[in-house]
Amino acid sequence: MSAGRALLGKTPTVCRLCSRRQVPHALRRSYSTRPHEIYDVVCVGGGPAGLSLLTALRSNPITSGLRVALVEAQDLAKTAAFSLPPTKFSNRCSSLTPASAQFLNSIGAWPHMQRSRIQEYQEMQVWDGVTGARIEFDWQGGSASKNIAYMIENLNLTSGLLKRLEELGGVDTFDNSKVESIDYGKETEDVDLSEWPVVQLSGGQSLAARLLVGADGVNSPVRTFAGIKTTGWDYERHGVVATLQLEGDGWGGEYTKIAYQRFLPTGPVAMLPLPGNYASMVWSTTPEKAAILKKLPTKDFLAMVNAAFRLSPTDLAYLHSLEEGQADEFSWRMQHVSTNPEMLPQTVVGVQEGTVASFPLRLRHADTYTVDRIALVGDAAHAVHPLAGQGLNQGQGDVQSLANAISYAVSHGQDLGAQMWLEPYNSDRYAANHVLMGVCDKLHKIYGTDSGPIVPLRSLGLRAVNALGPLKNFFMEQASGNGAKLL
Amino acid sequence: MPPVSRSAATQLRAVPKRILPRTHLATPRQAPTILRPAHVVLPSRCHSTSNPNPSFSSVNPEEVSHFAELASEWWDPHGSSRLLHLMNPLRHDFINACLDSQLEPRNETLSYLDIGCGGGIFAESAARLRSTRSVLAIDPTPSVLAVAKAHARKDPGLSRKLEYRNSSIEQLEVPKKEGEGYDIVSVFEVIEHIDQPGAFLEKVQPFVKPGGWLVMSTIARTWMSWLTTNLIAEDILKIVPKGTHDWNKYLDEDELRRFFMDKGWNSPRVMGVVYVPGLGWKQVRGSEKVGNYFFAVRRDFP
Repeated sequence: MSAGRALLGKTPTVCRLCSRRQVPHALRRSYSTRPHEIYDVVCVGGGPAGLSLLTALRSNPITSGLRVALVEAQDLAKTAAFSLPPTKFSNRCSSLTPASAQFLNSIGAWPHMQRSRIQEYQEMQVWDGVTGARIEFDWQGGSASKNIAYMIENLNLTSGLLKRLEELGGVDTFDNSKVESIDYGKETEDVDLSEWPVVQLSGGQSLAARLLVGADGVNSPVRTFAGIKTTGWDYERHGVVATLQLEGDGWGGEYTKIAYQRFLPTGPVAMLPLPGNYASMVWSTTPEKAAILKKLPTKDFLAMVNAAFRLSPTDLAYLHSLEEGQADEFSWRMQHVSTNPEMLPQTVVGVQEGTVASFPLRLRHADTYTVDRIALVGDAAHAVHPLAGQGLNQGQGDVQSLANAISYAVSHGQDLGAQMWLEPYNSDRYAANHVLMGVCDKLHKIYGTDSGPIVPLRSLGLRAVNALGPLKNFFMEQASGNGAKLL
Repeated sequence: MPPVSRSAATQLRAVPKRILPRTHLATPRQAPTILRPAHVVLPSRCHSTSNPNPSFSSVNPEEVSHFAELASEWWDPHGSSRLLHLMNPLRHDFINACLDSQLEPRNETLSYLDIGCGGGIFAESAARLRSTRSVLAIDPTPSVLAVAKAHARKDPGLSRKLEYRNSSIEQLEVPKKEGEGYDIVSVFEVIEHIDQPGAFLEKVQPFVKPGGWLVMSTIARTWMSWLTTNLIAEDILKIVPKGTHDWNKYLDEDELRRFFMDKGWNSPRVMGVVYVPGLGWKQVRGSEKVGNYFFAVRRDFP
């Protein structure tokens, strides 16, 4: 077709894809005299949320007849071809809850992920860097093999989703395409598109949408077009990420992996297991300290990461103030620190080249997720502090809910883009996301201090939760997305 | 319509701005707004068959001037028709339940005749279903039909299957052969406005294909509907002139059941629905005795 090219245009499966895409040819021709291509759903943004939504719609027989389009600025063929040797891991990883994994499986995408690059973990160790109060999460009772979450590279996820979409076919894909403008359509003699958003692409195409989905990230152009305001703030923190190599496969060995998170006054630092002796780190700290970390020579950087899990906040602050020589300073100080090594992540011995990076942390929440003919999902709707690893999972929850709302509208003959039939999505997800964002924000603030009455109180809280099995299980159910709905 | 009654009535989610055919009104200046509070009842469409030859030129120019207001109201998701919009999916659930109850498989594609289509809430949704072959939607009130047509133009997918016609059932040509009728004939929120529902339903019969379904919805004539629509709205709140509501025209489910007995119909089905604030419309077994309900009968094969 004039617009877009098939997903992964160069692979042999394209032929099958093309032949599927020709089915609605007559329909297309009838539109061709009009200035716009007309779609039921136009999704702007080919990240995890956008791709999951299209996969959910294409894999459901009720919604598979919809005419859908995907707009993405990057080259999706490159994303789909994601391939790294087993000793290399991308630095952008997410912790997928079992609920998200289940959803991805239900839409047929899970089997397309590179399974050997996904690492599930069964335990979490969380502690307070100031007081040392600690909470250990592992499943109590007969569910020893239960996974808390799955660590997955974002590229593995998006590439798996693209492969599933290729298998399903029927998505008009406009990648390497920027959104030039969004406007409402016009009224002509035979049709009135004055309430339909029309997306103008850099390639010259013009797509009219019954429903325009903004899966276009935290600075969502779709959200701006919809006139939806956001509330939120920047944390004045950056998240430093890196792919690390540990001295071993972890204290639990190959089959019982542990995630670690330590709350420091500058923000939490987390070590999340990847396959073998690899791990993904997220360290949220001040922009200045993040900048220092990124510039350090490897040996000093490794010392800082090890120190972040072991030294007192005061010592750590001192290491940060040094121009150089962190490695020597760290090993000298460690002689005076007594730790139980098995309660800490194994020592970091290497960092994968080119993986140390940082990004600003912020909290943003759109005032609503839906207006007439527009819906926001994922980061376009909400950006959350990454400390609970819930951002991507929230997006998957959004997509599942929106796909359900669309399916209900279609099966009952309702206009899937009309505000009234988008309302269930908004009411289902808004409050749930708001609670989670509030909790993450409060955690950040409670732990973002090293003095005052809040410090003993928060430790008391952690110790109390740790002592109460049922309460802990409740938190874990919530964390893994299986918990009873709070709202 | 007196402005006082209109603004007050809006608060109770009636459709006071509806334009009624003059033929339907006893006293046209006192438009008999069917005012029904939200928790039991709905804003409604209106269809008149009491006069076999309604004269459309008699539509009050004043009413026509309300057109713009009406157009925005009928499809406004937060307007007075909101409850009716929310109820619409249940109509499809009910029709599906009817079709599922058949022993033989349902036809691959279905044709619909929607009588008293109003702004087209049901007609549009029926036309959007993949299993629908065609929808003919009729209403005798030109201005209401103009609203329906203008709204349908906003969805390029509809024109292929959906036709609106300014007509009453009497003016519609009766199918010549038995097989030419419609698979589904719908009469939603209409019969409670008709003086002689029996005569009306007899006129509808030849339009239903043998084996097809006549599907309708209305309100039970009970102390509850009397309380909410007559006593509270008219006597206590006095937001509409006394005598506006013709509670006597409401129909009970067993009356309908008796009416269709031995007249060439079978398989009567009923589904009572209740609006629960915060949850929406819910099917509640037995509620057909109290308030809103759907009712369907299937036409006998010859």
